[in-house]
Amino acid sequence: MTTETLIWLIPLPPVLAFFLIVLFTNKSKALSHTIGVGAAALSFIGSMVVFVRALGVEHLGEHPFESAINWIPTGSTWFRIGVLIDPLGAAVLFFVAITIFMIFLYSVGYHNYGQPAGDHDVKGLPPHGATIEEHGHKHVVPSVEPMYSRFFAFLGLFAFGMYTLVVSDNLLTLFVGWEIMGLCSYLLIGFWYGKPSARDAAVKAFMTTRIGDVFMLLGIAFLYSATGTLTFREIFTEETLRALASTPAWFGMTASGLIALLLFIGTVGKSAQWPLHVWLPDAMEGPTPVSAMIHAATMVSAGVYAVLRMFPLLTADYGEHGLTVTMSIVAFIGAFTALFAATIAVAQNDIKRVLAYSTISQLGYMIAALGIGAYVAAAFHLITHAFFKALLFLGSGSVIHGMEHGVLHTGNHHVDPQDMFNMGGLRKKMPITFWTFLIGGFALSGFPLVTAGFWSKDEILADAFGHGHMAVFVTLAIAAFLTAFYTMRQITLTFLGEPRTEEAKHAQETPWTMTTPLIVLSVFAVTYGWVGIPEHFPLLGGLIPNWFHDFVGHTLAEVPETPEFSWIPLLTSLVVALGGLTLGWLYYRNVKSVSEDKFQIPLLKNKYYFDEAYNFLFVKPAYWFAENVVYKFLDKGVIDGILHAFGPSTQGFGSALRNYFDLPVINRAIGDGSAEITYWFGGKLRGIQTGRVQQYLVLALVTFIVIGAALFFFVLA
Amino acid sequence: MVPLSWYLIFAAALFSIGLFGVLSRRNAVAILLGIELMLNSVNINLAAFWRYGDVRLMAGQVFAIIVFAVAAAEVAVGLALVISVYRSRRTVVADEIDMMKW
Amino acid sequence: MNFISTHLLSTILFFPAIAALVMLFLPKEETKLHKWYALAASLVPFVLSLVVWFNFDPSQPGYQFEEMYTWYTAIGSSLHLGVDGLSLSMVLLTTLLTPIAILASFSINDRTKAYMILFLFLETGMLGVFMAIDLLIFFVFWEIGLVPMYFLINQWGSANRNYASLKFMIYTMGGSLGLLLAVQLLGVLFKTYDLQTITAQWSAYTAPIGGISASTFKAIAFWAFVIAFAVKVPLWPFHTWLPDAHTEAPTAGSMILAGVLLKLGAYGFLRLVLPLYPAEAKYFAGALAFLAVAAIVFGAFGSYAQTDFKRLVAYSSVNHMGFVVLGIAAAAFAAGTDDARIALNGAILQMFNHGLSAAGMFFLVGVIYERTHTRNLEEFGGLFPLVPVYGGILIFTSMASLGLPGLNGFISEFLVVRGSFGVGVNSVPVMAIYTAVAMLGLLFTGAYILKGIKKVLHGPMNEHWVHGEHKLTEINAREIIVMVPLMVLILWIGLYPSWILNVINKAVVMLF
Repeated sequence: MTTETLIWLIPLPPVLAFFLIVLFTNKSKALSHTIGVGAAALSFIGSMVVFVRALGVEHLGEHPFESAINWIPTGSTWFRIGVLIDPLGAAVLFFVAITIFMIFLYSVGYHNYGQPAGDHDVKGLPPHGATIEEHGHKHVVPSVEPMYSRFFAFLGLFAFGMYTLVVSDNLLTLFVGWEIMGLCSYLLIGFWYGKPSARDAAVKAFMTTRIGDVFMLLGIAFLYSATGTLTFREIFTEETLRALASTPAWFGMTASGLIALLLFIGTVGKSAQWPLHVWLPDAMEGPTPVSAMIHAATMVSAGVYAVLRMFPLLTADYGEHGLTVTMSIVAFIGAFTALFAATIAVAQNDIKRVLAYSTISQLGYMIAALGIGAYVAAAFHLITHAFFKALLFLGSGSVIHGMEHGVLHTGNHHVDPQDMFNMGGLRKKMPITFWTFLIGGFALSGFPLVTAGFWSKDEILADAFGHGHMAVFVTLAIAAFLTAFYTMRQITLTFLGEPRTEEAKHAQETPWTMTTPLIVLSVFAVTYGWVGIPEHFPLLGGLIPNWFHDFVGHTLAEVPETPEFSWIPLLTSLVVALGGLTLGWLYYRNVKSVSEDKFQIPLLKNKYYFDEAYNFLFVKPAYWFAENVVYKFLDKGVIDGILHAFGPSTQGFGSALRNYFDLPVINRAIGDGSAEITYWFGGKLRGIQTGRVQQYLVLALVTFIVIGAALFFFVLA
Repeated sequence: MVPLSWYLIFAAALFSIGLFGVLSRRNAVAILLGIELMLNSVNINLAAFWRYGDVRLMAGQVFAIIVFAVAAAEVAVGLALVISVYRSRRTVVADEIDMMKW
Repeated sequence: MNFISTHLLSTILFFPAIAALVMLFLPKEETKLHKWYALAASLVPFVLSLVVWFNFDPSQPGYQFEEMYTWYTAIGSSLHLGVDGLSLSMVLLTTLLTPIAILASFSINDRTKAYMILFLFLETGMLGVFMAIDLLIFFVFWEIGLVPMYFLINQWGSANRNYASLKFMIYTMGGSLGLLLAVQLLGVLFKTYDLQTITAQWSAYTAPIGGISASTFKAIAFWAFVIAFAVKVPLWPFHTWLPDAHTEAPTAGSMILAGVLLKLGAYGFLRLVLPLYPAEAKYFAGALAFLAVAAIVFGAFGSYAQTDFKRLVAYSSVNHMGFVVLGIAAAAFAAGTDDARIALNGAILQMFNHGLSAAGMFFLVGVIYERTHTRNLEEFGGLFPLVPVYGGILIFTSMASLGLPGLNGFISEFLVVRGSFGVGVNSVPVMAIYTAVAMLGLLFTGAYILKGIKKVLHGPMNEHWVHGEHKLTEINAREIIVMVPLMVLILWIGLYPSWILNVINKAVVMLF
């Protein structure tokens, strides 16, 4: 099979699994997950084959794997869609395939496959546990998810969306995958739709990202209108880019700048950047594998991936005069979000929410890196982050799962198994989860030298410093410090010290289907950093070639240069990472309950009141406007008012006609008048109608004779 | 040969007798008889005119036959009516059958 | 066989009407027979129109399968039928939706004979509009379609049906008065009603008419046409009959109303307004685009404000048909460019797509209404576990309506947006602004669709529907069969649109 055919086939198994499960096998849990995991495995194998073949191609940047077909006729031309695997695509495909496969596997355990059906479980709510009798006494064990099959179906569709996005050679099918993921995230966040919070979170996620999406669609339309194509490799030719960069558009921007900005707004929504970040923390309502899938491996990364794809456009008018307007906006939003989300994460107590804000913050890193033109660093961080954040989410899911075990054991359902202050000391109960979570957490904090996160984060800082973007550098450095701090807070509160509740004492390690993905991902969370060690790094530089930079850098027409090595960013990242970790450990090892935590600042705890503000500024007014202005005032009042005015006015006209013309003139004078005259005549004449036939005959005869005589005399004679 | 006018006078007389019968008799059956007389006077006219006109044209005779048919039908209907009236009103006196007034 | 192959269009056109006449002789009590007979009778035109579809040569210019019969020689009108790519797609939509709607109304047991007869007559009325190439015939069928619809709403509708049916009837007839006058004028001027002849001569006509200059006269006639079609589409602010009519109509009536009748208006724009008045259309395109954007935005807001499920779907039609008119306005601005063609491709495909998704949505609302006897969104909630299959189908169809990529609505909306924005970028900047504002409508499309799903399927389960006599039953096999063709087409067009777009595109390239 040629590589191109194989690329076409990669997204198909998950979507076939979706249809198979939805249409046929949804009654059978075993069959459904076999199909789901099998499909993920097929796509995984296909992706790996493509990846390995891509590694073997020299100058993959100039000669990528590509193939296209006609899709939509547009006047005299066709709109073509196709697949493309260039170095960036190959690198992204690699991590996407691994994380997706791991998440499928993990879901089997997470949804308690093999456990009995719950006592009172209903569809649309999380399972509550089942009572079983063993050795003569009853005890409660976790119960299997009632909508188990459906979960795998959605997951399959989601995987389809992500693969489609990665292998697309054009913006439109990228957008198709993008939106399919949006739908799936909606369905998966609202998976337990029986919970009001889940259904609201689902709608919120969909609507918030859709704000970005409509701008993106506009950007796509703009780009298509301006260049006549949406295929990446046709847009990113030098003359097209130069033409776009020199075309003035609105708001004093060039066409390329404006298009890039519009597309970037899509990313702001999808990657949960400020000010559209509000949906992501709420999205934690979904089951944990969903959180990992959406927030680490795929959907949010897709936002960054789209900006990476559009990087030539973003930088088309990037010259000697510093950053362009668009790039400044991108850099600002990225850096601001990185810091802003990190501050919120410090005050969150829900284990998944901390990670959610951390994700927002880390995505801000990548966006900021792209804003300052650090293409390779952003791509690198995207991939390392995907590994360790998927690891952390799955780890947190494992922790929650363990805690739920404890909750079932004690039967106290008021204990929130996600609240970190209910945990503590889990390292002994759940060793595998602990060690892998520790690796993930250290990678996130950028623990020097060994973790992948260090190398990618350091590269971003070095780039920012090297190109003189000091504001970005400082902001990101502070954010990195906070990241290390809250990560250590999380680890300390969850795993270290002594159990703070009965439930934590009875937590249990999770089954192999859940721990295997943790182990696999933790391997990548460490080793993936080694493929991108800068050449001039002291001691280690050059031991392993900087493969990542060389490989992904060739996606662009001009391979970006690595910044000069400097000690300042390196020392900074060492200090912030180690400093944050140390401080976090020192402070939180002594904290025993929420009230002792000095960082529970209301402003941070309530996420700077963004939800409330948006609700007050946008959601409520929109509904008010829709209901009162558009529907009640305009439609029912003005327009129907005018229409209804036609009725009475016509009726008025009609009754005037009737009262002043029809009734007196036609009815009385003409109608009734003629009737009365006839009536009078009839009255007079009725005497001759006796009812006797013979009299009539005589009358007829007389009349005949008289008329005949008259005729004879007056006419004939 | 008897001149045509004789036939015509005879027919006129017959017609007048019939007409008188129609107008003056009180019995409905007698009125019907008067009508028959009038019809037959017409037949005499028709036959006479045929005989004294062009004998190759058959119209007069055909007409006479049509009149027979009409007369027969008329008697049938008329008598049926009379019987029907008799059944409902127990009378065949024309003056008493005066439903057709205002 | 030879007769049918040479009289294919007239067979398709009159078969339902003849079948309806035959139906008069069926016994009144045989409800089941009426239903199956009507279904069978409506399948015949569908099969025949498939024959037309597969024998149609899209690359050949002009009308195909033409038929011409003398009808009214004294005033130069003849029964002239024919289809091109534009009308063929609409004919196919009509003949497809009618059997589906008839199958959907199998649950009706009240006066089925009259009901089915009206439905069959309705089909003839609608098909006639799409097939006519004679202005007078066009108008005649245009009005014929109203009558059965009026009775369907008036006799089989829900509580407020008298008001709704009257509003529907009067509004549409009032709107088309101007059209009738304008059509008469053209007929008198050219001594014929043949569309091709008139099209060829009218746009070049410059002599003053009745002392008024040709340009003024044309502008007036243009608006007479536009208003008639705008009422039907419906364009903002002529849309308020639609939520009432849709809400009160029986389920199948709403399906046809949204699926086909609204398309008559848009079709009128494409078949008559653009070819007859290219200059005026260009001159007034800004106003049209404004109204279209108003329809998109206010339609979406109006829908978002509803608490009645069916009314919500009804308003969504205003929103979706706004895109059709936006595409038409964009094309009027820049006729002959590729941008215009893309916009028109999108507009025509949007007509087809809306026919599928809106019919599906109305049917699904009807399904739940039949079981619960309420359409109030507040009374539902958490029904997903009770009716998983229904829920899945509802989400699928809603997503098509929302314009989710991968389903049909996205393709057409994208093409419209692309076309009109392209016109904005390349020739008339104001279209870019209109397109951008229309995006607001697209955003709120999401809002109201999700509101519907959220209120019906998600959330805590409303115990009222779980037990006893109110127990909600799952969608049955017949209802699934109604939805399957719609869903298959929705997905098929979404994934591989070119089978239909190719026909549309070639027609558009040749026409405009």
